Amino acid sequence: MLWIRILLRDSKDLHTDSCPHVQKLNLEGLLQKHVEMAAEIKNLDTDLQIMKNNIVGMEANMEQLLAKITSVQSKSDLVNTSLFEKREHIEKLHRTRNLLRKVQFIYDLPTRLAKCIKAEAYADAVRFFIGSKPIFEAYGDSSFQDCKRASEEAIDLVIKNLEAKIYSDSEPIEARAEAVVLLKQLNFPVVDDLNSILIADNFVASCQVDSLKTKLLEKLEDYLMTLQDEHKETGASALDTLETRVIWEDVTLMDEVLAEAALPAFSLEAARSIIRQFISTSFSHLLLEVSEALTKSQPMPKKGSEESSLQNALEGSKKVVIQGSLDLLLEFRQLLDDNLELLAKLRDLIVDWVQEGFQGFFQKLDERFLALCGKGYIANPDSSVIDAIQVDKVQTGLVLVLAQLSVFIEQIAIPRIMEEIAASFSGGGARGYEHGPAFVPGEICRIFRSAGERFLLLYINMKTQKISILLKKRFTTPNWIKHKEPREVHMFVDLLLQELEAVGIEVRQILPQGLVRRHRHSDSTGSTNSSRSNATREDKLTRTNTQRVRSQFLESHLAKLFEQKMEIFTKVQYTQESVISTIIKFCLKSLQEFVRLQTFNRSGFQQIQLDIEFLKNPLKEFVDDDAAIDFLLKEVIGAAHERCLDPIPLEAPILDKLISTKISKSREESQRYNKLTKPKELFVCSERRL
Amino acid sequence: GRIPSSFPLTQTVKRSVVLHNQRLTAVFLCRRVTMRGASTGIVYGGLKYQARSIADVKADTDHTSFLAGTLSLKEENEVHLIRLSPPGSELVCEGLFYHPNEIWDLKSCPFNPRIFSTVYTSGETYGASVWQIPELNSQSNAPQLEHLISLNEHSFKIKCVLWWPSGKHDKLISIDEGNLFLWSIDTSNKMAKVISQESVGMLHNLSGGAWDPHDRNAVAGICDSSLEFWDLRTMKKTSSIEQAHARDVDYNPKKQHLLVTAEDVSGIRLWDLRRPKCPVKELPGHAHWTWAVRHNPEYDELILSAGTDSTVNLWLAHPPGANDSIPVDSPKRPKDSLLNSYTDYEDSVYGLAWSTREPSVFASLSYDGRVVVESVKSYIRRK
Repeated sequence: MLWIRILLRDSKDLHTDSCPHVQKLNLEGLLQKHVEMAAEIKNLDTDLQIMKNNIVGMEANMEQLLAKITSVQSKSDLVNTSLFEKREHIEKLHRTRNLLRKVQFIYDLPTRLAKCIKAEAYADAVRFFIGSKPIFEAYGDSSFQDCKRASEEAIDLVIKNLEAKIYSDSEPIEARAEAVVLLKQLNFPVVDDLNSILIADNFVASCQVDSLKTKLLEKLEDYLMTLQDEHKETGASALDTLETRVIWEDVTLMDEVLAEAALPAFSLEAARSIIRQFISTSFSHLLLEVSEALTKSQPMPKKGSEESSLQNALEGSKKVVIQGSLDLLLEFRQLLDDNLELLAKLRDLIVDWVQEGFQGFFQKLDERFLALCGKGYIANPDSSVIDAIQVDKVQTGLVLVLAQLSVFIEQIAIPRIMEEIAASFSGGGARGYEHGPAFVPGEICRIFRSAGERFLLLYINMKTQKISILLKKRFTTPNWIKHKEPREVHMFVDLLLQELEAVGIEVRQILPQGLVRRHRHSDSTGSTNSSRSNATREDKLTRTNTQRVRSQFLESHLAKLFEQKMEIFTKVQYTQESVISTIIKFCLKSLQEFVRLQTFNRSGFQQIQLDIEFLKNPLKEFVDDDAAIDFLLKEVIGAAHERCLDPIPLEAPILDKLISTKISKSREESQRYNKLTKPKELFVCSERRL
Repeated sequence: GRIPSSFPLTQTVKRSVVLHNQRLTAVFLCRRVTMRGASTGIVYGGLKYQARSIADVKADTDHTSFLAGTLSLKEENEVHLIRLSPPGSELVCEGLFYHPNEIWDLKSCPFNPRIFSTVYTSGETYGASVWQIPELNSQSNAPQLEHLISLNEHSFKIKCVLWWPSGKHDKLISIDEGNLFLWSIDTSNKMAKVISQESVGMLHNLSGGAWDPHDRNAVAGICDSSLEFWDLRTMKKTSSIEQAHARDVDYNPKKQHLLVTAEDVSGIRLWDLRRPKCPVKELPGHAHWTWAVRHNPEYDELILSAGTDSTVNLWLAHPPGANDSIPVDSPKRPKDSLLNSYTDYEDSVYGLAWSTREPSVFASLSYDGRVVVESVKSYIRRK
């Protein structure tokens, strides 16, 4: 039908197109055409008819084909169903075979383990055993009883061998570490062995390092891959040679950096901070040790060993300071000698840190000393927390120990440490030369020199204050204007002498003896002549006794007009004598000042005269500076004379008698107390009596 | 009659003047000390007896003058009005007045140059009085001190009298061993009455004190082993500084809350009352006791101390906060230091007074009765 329509259209076209021809052609022509066309149409019609017949034939053929296919399919289904059962069976057989294999493995395990043991392939053995463990756990008590026992025996042997391996020093460390790991896998208790832990930890650590390494490398690989990809992309899109070159350079640069900088720098940084921390903790530990050595052996009152406890404290702390410092230096030197590549790079830094460490250590030690004396606020004035140590609770002995320890540090320890540092820790200079060396021994020496002087003065001050309180009590308590006639030497002289005795005990433990020189006045500045003349005059006076006391006052006044003042406040030295005599001089001067604040009647004056006269000899037993003592005692009597309304001194015979009574009495008492009690309690008794 | 000021008196002449008991206004020998070479002090040798007290006549705006009183148990005691001659080279005695008893404390009235107070003892008796210097121009040969007021409510030994240091104030404080008295005084009518009184109890022992120049209601008292502070309105203790065995105390004249103490053993310590737990600063003080301590009235970082080691020390001690902006270890930060040690004394120095009129000048008094006036001008210029 289609064709026909096309044809019609064509004919139509033909008609319209040939419109101009229509008028031109004649009817005959038209008829002719009509005949032709009719013939043509007839032909076409025939063709179409033929075609239609052909198509109908094809349809039949197709139907035949379909029937055939369906039949084939049904036949194949039939075959499939018939084969299914068989396949199922085959699969079942396969599973059974696997199980049988496992069972076979279990049955073979003992032999297998034995083989492994023979070949020392313990790792395999352990793996096998652990693999079969679940089965043993499930069926070990029934089917595989024998098998289990046998393999357990074998594994026991493995464990034994592994243990032997751990303890054998000839084995390489990796093998031992492996053994530990294997034993751990077997849940074998190896924890109680330190060595094995160490080995295992090392191993684990190295494993961790390995895994870290792998991870790091993986990351890097990834990164490089992406870079490569990017590169490809850019290369594909724009073939810019310059750009690819840049990337290439980047990659090579990265290669270099990777090799040299990145990883070592990180590990260097880590090592740096760890070593720095190590050094600083070492120093703070030493600081702690020193203060412990000082405070631990602090003299405990009421203990028999008091005699030497200060000395122990001093010797102990000296040892800690010097030995501790040298030990630290040794440790640090080992650090340098370890010859690890990493540490070699840090060498300069380590040298600086060690030097800085010592500098800081000694500065802190100085502050610590101050704090121990209750003077922490001087070193650290801004701290809101004031050290709990109060000045009045500080043991005087400790202050003396600190004084001598400071001298030791200045004169012995610092030079020694300086030598050590010069030998193995010179150089450094990572700080830059403009800062100079980190450890400045001169500065530390200066700090401890002044610290030593300060502590010595503090010791003297503390002792003087204690005695001063005693004297103050003595002079402010009685009514001196209504004083009764002196009957005996007053108690306070005993207390004074006891305090001085206590000072003697302390200084004899700590301080060296000075050169024994009577008349040591070249030490004091500018008063040599006056004190000598004083001494001779005084000698004469003691011989002629006190009958000429009055003239003595006149003499002293006259002497004062012409003499310069006695230099009693001379520089203190680190000797027993110097410290004791300084304390005595201070006390006698205080005595004079206390006397000046009172007004005496005759008896009061005579009491002072008696007490001072009595003190003369015992005081001279403490010190070698007789002249100064005589001068000061005379000043006390002089002051009392000035402050007395009726200054008539005691008659010499009465004075002598009272003094000798006191001497014999105190001798008796000391004998009695020596028999009964310790001297400490004498002090308590006499204090109560006061 | 009057002895002309140029007349050189020797020691014997002086003594004879006194021995004849002539009540004269005498001019004593002044000399520049050359004995020890280094010393520059002007010495006044007019006090014949031992002495402890010297005071700056603050209210005298025309002259630099001081009042000094003697401490003699048996002789007749004197009060000397000493004036620094205008070129500053001589110490002139402007007046010599007999005082009935030995003088333990002498303070000049801060608003009237002719008025001063003394604390005295005589044997077992003691007392405190306010005196007026008679007109010096009068023709009288024997000028007598005019006794204005007796502060006679005390039952313990009197230690000191305090005037409010910063100007006219009609109150007076007197301190004895056990009590603190606040007086209302009227010098023109010779009247005094106790406004309030506070007892410190038997356990404490007052020995001195200072009146806060920044707060007329605040007073510091020196106890045995502490420094106690009172509010005069309530007469209640406001705070205390423990562990201070002070001999003397002085408020900073320029900065409130700051004060300095002189102590037997600890030397000189500077305190901030807002943080009384521990001192702001410590200065070594003296070889023996530090007896007296005074801030310079104008340059408060200059501190003067006197000690029983027969020296007077001049210290530079920057008050806290002054240099806090400069780092501690910077070399630019001014260091506290001993500027000078005046050693031209034969005995313990108990008396110390800066001149308010001429703040670069101070007077010191040693126990042997020697007044030495020194200038610290060179140290002020240097800073």
